[in-house]
Amino acid sequence: MRRVLIFSSPNPITPQLSTPPTPPVNAVFPIRNCRWIGPSTSFQPPVLRLHNYQRTPTPLLCSATDSVTNQTKMASQDEQDPRISKISSVIRVIPNFPKPGILFQDITTLLLDTKAFRDTIDLFVERYREKDISVVAGIEARGFIFGPPIALAIGAKFVPLRKPNKLPGEVISEEYSLEYGTDKIEMHVGAMQAGERALIIDDLVATGGTLCAAIRLLERVGVHVVECACVIELPELKGRERLGDTPLFVLVSSA
Amino acid sequence: MSAHRDTDPRIHGIQSKIRVVPNFPKPGIMFQDITTLLLDPKAFKDTVDLFVERYKGKDISVVAGIEARGFIFGPPIALEIGAKFVPLRKPKKLPGKVISEEYVLEYGRDCLEMHVGAVEPGERALVVDDLIATGGTLCAAMKLLERVGADVVECACVIELPDLKGRERLNGKPLYVLVESH
Repeated sequence: MRRVLIFSSPNPITPQLSTPPTPPVNAVFPIRNCRWIGPSTSFQPPVLRLHNYQRTPTPLLCSATDSVTNQTKMASQDEQDPRISKISSVIRVIPNFPKPGILFQDITTLLLDTKAFRDTIDLFVERYREKDISVVAGIEARGFIFGPPIALAIGAKFVPLRKPNKLPGEVISEEYSLEYGTDKIEMHVGAMQAGERALIIDDLVATGGTLCAAIRLLERVGVHVVECACVIELPELKGRERLGDTPLFVLVSSA
Repeated sequence: MSAHRDTDPRIHGIQSKIRVVPNFPKPGIMFQDITTLLLDPKAFKDTVDLFVERYKGKDISVVAGIEARGFIFGPPIALEIGAKFVPLRKPKKLPGKVISEEYVLEYGRDCLEMHVGAVEPGERALVVDDLIATGGTLCAAMKLLERVGADVVECACVIELPDLKGRERLNGKPLYVLVESH
């Protein structure tokens, strides 16, 4: 998928994100749209983060909703899982792609290491199995690589979220902002039912724009997005905040 | 070794889950939609299992998947048989140094790319896609792998449209499919 990483030296923020409009006085929850995310003063991201280079344990924070995190008991929650550093080390960073100033996180090298790829999937599967998740939605195209193995292992269906005009049947679409212009993602009507519990998978979260659009798409059909899961996060681009109430789980944080 | 498993009891279930969408992407085309197969966890698992049973223990070290629906079937197969997964992509998607193979479409041309260094000479490879029609894309994929010295053991697809004679276009390389659609 096309990924826009806005990264011009010390200011890695898109023009749209750098000066968000003032949130309305009576806002309780962040409004999730592509142009504005209002921080709630009591907001805590209910997520377990596994950093590849920090050993500070991250406490498990629970949201008021039935997040998976408060039910998860894994060895990796108290210290970095030993599989993580290998996964991180086989991700290739390519400077100046797709344009100057951007450091592109290339997961294709991870896919060449059979054990590291296996471990990547296992880390997600261990987190999500037996959590009554019936849908794994993957964002085109690199989400198609990680989503299906997870779905198969946890017994969920896999739903591809695609660029416009790729899906042959009746679709619903969600538009979202890019640095210049807009893009759209689409899902087949009927792929999910109201009340289903879903994960959204992509290889990487940058600004969070695409994930945000994916969450909206699923919520429009009444699906509960339990968590977004990515291999890599670029924390400086603040995608996590953009997801509002929806937890984000990543294996590797690349600052 | 070309075959399709129409005697395996799982095949019928798989075939019944594939949705045919008429007149997509243009009038007269009956599009074989595998997204409905992916909505049935058992049928999806059976699909992957049928390929894994065929290729496990055959010393295959590379599964190459064609963007984008080959990315759905290729990785689960690769993971189960212990092979690496190599995405074959449309132009300008792969960030590193690539080799490209051009191929002809009904109108115009397209191009498939692979990262340099992903596959070593002598490796045994599979090429995976959801469907084979004319065989043009699969052919380009095979050429990419052969150019770097890999041995393409077989092409594997869920669906074949035999009337389009893609099988013949594969220069004698074996093709394995689960479902034929006339």
